Amino acid sequence: MSDVGMILQRIGATLATEVAPKLEGDYAGGHAGMAGIMAVMAGEMWDKEADLLVSEIARLRGLLGTAGLGSDVPETASFRISDLKATRNALAEQLITLQSRLEDRDDDEARGLNEKIWGHLLATSAARMPSPPEFGAPSEDVSYPQSSGEGGWTRPPS
Amino acid sequence: MPDGAIDNPGLAEKFAAYAEAHIPGARNLRVTQMSRIHGGASRETYSVDIAYEDATGPKVKGVILRRDPPDSLIDTERRIEFAAIRTAYGQAAIPVPEALFLETDNGPLGAPFFVMGRIEGGTPLNPFRIEDVEPHRGSVGRAFFQHLGAIAAIDIAGSPITREIDSPSADGCWKRELDYWASEIETNAREPQPVAQAAIRYLRANPPPPAQKLSLVHGDYRSGNYLVDQTGDINAILDWEMAHVGDPYEDLAWATDLLWGGNDQERAAGLLPWAEAIEIWQAASGCTFDPEAFEWWSLFAHLKGLGIWISSARAFADGKNDDPILAWSGWFTHCAHELMLVSRLAQKHGVEL
Repeated sequence: MSDVGMILQRIGATLATEVAPKLEGDYAGGHAGMAGIMAVMAGEMWDKEADLLVSEIARLRGLLGTAGLGSDVPETASFRISDLKATRNALAEQLITLQSRLEDRDDDEARGLNEKIWGHLLATSAARMPSPPEFGAPSEDVSYPQSSGEGGWTRPPS
Repeated sequence: MPDGAIDNPGLAEKFAAYAEAHIPGARNLRVTQMSRIHGGASRETYSVDIAYEDATGPKVKGVILRRDPPDSLIDTERRIEFAAIRTAYGQAAIPVPEALFLETDNGPLGAPFFVMGRIEGGTPLNPFRIEDVEPHRGSVGRAFFQHLGAIAAIDIAGSPITREIDSPSADGCWKRELDYWASEIETNAREPQPVAQAAIRYLRANPPPPAQKLSLVHGDYRSGNYLVDQTGDINAILDWEMAHVGDPYEDLAWATDLLWGGNDQERAAGLLPWAEAIEIWQAASGCTFDPEAFEWWSLFAHLKGLGIWISSARAFADGKNDDPILAWSGWFTHCAHELMLVSRLAQKHGVEL
């Protein structure tokens, strides 16, 4: 069985809902609960991480290409997460440099490209926002984060 | 009273010897209970019961012991936290525990530590379950903003905190804080941070007005760092480890950051309607609410959050601290603050949400 996402989510639920309550009052109980939440998050990310990275790389190449940049970053060596991240990170470093240069200019072309970069950053952050986990009754331990139950921090502040 | 569990017998034995030597007239002191409190991942926090005798007879006392990690190299923050608590203690009914001992030497307990009185009968409010504050949302909210304003109103001239750290100029508060957190992000980031970097540039290019006054800044005033008793009153304000002297707007913006108010869009800190919260804060602090200043400091609050979460992720990844809450902070809360920050800045640059 190699359904990693399902396995992590089930292990996480077991840790948070069965193991942690039995350790209530013990310092390790907080660790068990947190580890459970993290396992569920990891299961979710396992399924979508490659897709997120491929999308980010494509958008980054598009934005950098507009400014004649990014061509020196080689194509990803494989679809391993580590290789995809290395490529994404190399392109993201160039994006930081490009955006900083655009901010020093005062023309419509620069403003237009900068707006597209902000759109990319917003799309990237929104796509990477984890689903808030929901695990039964709240702990009184404040260090044990619980779901907001509202879909998770996706709305901008007013 | 029977003795309770002792999580760390070796530490308890050393602490008993230390406490007996530092409580005037104490003899036959022993630790009757010691439990480590989860959270506060940067430091070990223990709830401790001690029993001893002095000239007036037997005594029992509950204290909180906060000890740096064994490999910690920073006792400066410990001294500042101790000085901040002493600065606020006894001022304008701000519920602060009594600061008892500060030990900056590694000898007695293996790492610097300090001890404060334990305030009984309160529980922290989980910022991720802010609705648990009911049915006391209103009273907790009023106390929350009253104490926040009162901290800003403390006369800090000659106070313990000003003897520990430098005070910035009124027009230099923002830059000192921005420089600090920009440096933390630069030092600890494990991946490129285009949102944080763009935010740093934006905040630097669009500074806030000078501080209306220099005040004691708690640094981490928020849900989770105060205790609520059964009557709906706040009976303790904790975790002063990021305290400093600065602009009161820094605390106001951090306290009302959406992360700490359950993402409540309608109520300040998830507790009170904004107008009521600001009115209480103004009256207690002596400051006048300035939307321009608040805008800058509230954006900065998101960035400061990123600085904290990036540092947490680094500590976990480097194996300096295995507490999973650091991994959670470096992931979920990082994403939450980054999304808040990018949403607001993208709008300022023409992106429609």
